[in-house]
Amino acid sequence: MTTPPGEPPDSRALVSLTELGRTAVDQPTPTDLDRGLDTLLARIAAGKAHRRGLVHWSLVGVTAALAILAGLHFAYRSMWRLPAAEPPALAYQIEGGSVLESGYLRESGHGGIKLLFNEGSKFALTPGTRGWVRAIDKDGPRVAIERGTASCRVTPSRERRWLVEVGPFLVTVKGTVFTVSWDPLSEQFELRLKRGRVVVSGPVSGGDIALLAGQRLHVSLSKAETVITDENVANVENVENVENVENVENVENVENVENVDGVAGDTSGALAPPPQDSPAAQPSVEREPVERERPAGRSRSTVLAPSTTTKADVRDWSEALAGGHWDRILEDVKRAGLQATLDTASSEDLFVLATAARYRRRTEWARAALLAERRRFPDSPRALEALFLLGRVEESRERGASRAIAWYDEYLTHAPTGTFAAEALGRKLTLTSELEGPAQARTIAEDYLRRFPNGSYAGSARALRRVP
Amino acid sequence: MLEGNAAAKAGGRAGGKMNQSPRVTTTAVQLEPYGYAMPPRRAHASLSLVGARDHRDVSDGDLSRGLIAGEGWAIAETWRRFAPMVLTMAQRSLGSKSEAEDIGQEVFYRVFRKAKALREPDSLRSFVYSFAVRALKSELRRRKMRAWLSFDAPEALVDVGSRTLDVESRDLLRKFHSLLDRLTARDRIVFVLRRMESMTVEEIASTMDLSLSTVKRSMAHSSNRLSRWIDADPGLAGFLDTERWGL
Repeated sequence: MTTPPGEPPDSRALVSLTELGRTAVDQPTPTDLDRGLDTLLARIAAGKAHRRGLVHWSLVGVTAALAILAGLHFAYRSMWRLPAAEPPALAYQIEGGSVLESGYLRESGHGGIKLLFNEGSKFALTPGTRGWVRAIDKDGPRVAIERGTASCRVTPSRERRWLVEVGPFLVTVKGTVFTVSWDPLSEQFELRLKRGRVVVSGPVSGGDIALLAGQRLHVSLSKAETVITDENVANVENVENVENVENVENVENVENVENVDGVAGDTSGALAPPPQDSPAAQPSVEREPVERERPAGRSRSTVLAPSTTTKADVRDWSEALAGGHWDRILEDVKRAGLQATLDTASSEDLFVLATAARYRRRTEWARAALLAERRRFPDSPRALEALFLLGRVEESRERGASRAIAWYDEYLTHAPTGTFAAEALGRKLTLTSELEGPAQARTIAEDYLRRFPNGSYAGSARALRRVP
Repeated sequence: MLEGNAAAKAGGRAGGKMNQSPRVTTTAVQLEPYGYAMPPRRAHASLSLVGARDHRDVSDGDLSRGLIAGEGWAIAETWRRFAPMVLTMAQRSLGSKSEAEDIGQEVFYRVFRKAKALREPDSLRSFVYSFAVRALKSELRRRKMRAWLSFDAPEALVDVGSRTLDVESRDLLRKFHSLLDRLTARDRIVFVLRRMESMTVEEIASTMDLSLSTVKRSMAHSSNRLSRWIDADPGLAGFLDTERWGL
């Protein structure tokens, strides 16, 4: 669809996007319409809306009455200086799942789980995240994340202390907003603190780590590496921090701190070994100067850790990828040589390279990077994703459909509930139908509908199932 | 209840086929003039389907009169006739099939409840459209309010229902809808109606109860802003700068 005559023309990009938005929407199927009509007739018959209105206004009335009572109570207490009452018992509602007897949070759909506490705190578990409600007592709740990512907002309270177990880590929370994730396969922990303060305890040397608003903590147990990044602080401030260092072990770090983002291609910063006194399994390396607050009793100090400016930092490809500078990444590879890059790049860089190459339709490079990811980092989560993406790459190659199916099968075997499981099975369904005919794809369609009844390919799967 | 629903549904769907099944078994339910039963008012009332005529050829005016009279067949036929239009428009506006279905339910529920307010029976189509636009506006405003109040909610994915879009197209769509999210509810709906639903400026003005100049201004405003945002997003502009997208 182009811009109608008589109107200023839209940019070409906007026209393309609009067209995509328009054509991406199908007319509802007869089944959709029937289902909608069923719902509508049931609703009309039950007169739900009327009742909902009644409930709504009742709630408004009750809320107003409670607000007045609370105001009176507050005034009464202020006047007579009554001692503070016990905090109300903590209760919560769950959306998107249920809690089993053991406290295990069972996801009922594919939209993640939300825990909504009566004092305003919220925990949102992203789809696929496994967690437990360990305990809820008067001191506060204890929630555990076994795998995946959770966003948390905890309402500040003097009476309660929130504890969030994340893999082997324990996050002690005051009023705050943060996102935390744990991947047991790669043993990677990440916490992004948006607001407030948390203390993280776990298998890291140097005791508990207190994080301030805007900081990100990344711990890789397998690499024995701990990184705290102040996402809001400019490098200039980092340099200023150096003046406060009490325990600088390596003065050269100052230069490295300044150069972390500055010089592309600079590989002068060598990976520092972990401190002598720390066990190898305990990550103990920090790459940026961070303010680490010690628990009570210890002096507050700023520790500048040994430099670990790695090649990955210097390349800074992730940023280039996010900014759409794919050609820059590919140019870097061309300069360094594809094979050399495949042999030396980090897992993340290989993945970024594969993504940039896919976006630029350099399918051979994308394929090579993904295969290198599989070969060099077979246990990383990226290696799993690479399986799926290899399928995508094969699909875009000539006569690559059957190879793509093989990759999707491989992905589904290794990650039956993985991020791309629905997409992989859906693509397999489509390709099988194209290659071998609808009859051969019917079993896959049934499998798809059983596992992802609301998935993107559910419509196609239902249609295939109906084919005689 | 279910049997009542089945009867009303069949009124809009089965049409001529039902003429071949003349056997009637009813208990305690009065049939409506067109041979379909209204949803039962009592939980224990049960009914079966009877032979009936096809209502697909009924004019919008007659359909409106059926709705105003509260006739069961009219509900099903109104849904059958206008739901596709409302559902696709809502999905294009909101980027989510499930939300579009919710909007569809809301729109038709309101249409049936307010049918008596329809003064010109022949303008049922624009009556439905105006309810849809109002519901969409409320939903978009509610969404903005939710985004403002909520904390760090996980990013919403574009839900295209049964469409088998590739990963790149989904990414693009998601980005496009995140740009649309930045428009005001009015500008967004005007843009969608004009560019995706191909409605004329006059139709939009009438449906949204706006003046022609306001619609034109709103259209130019949203188009300029979207183009500027796309240009400023290197990922989006770069991605679109490939042969695949026809640029």
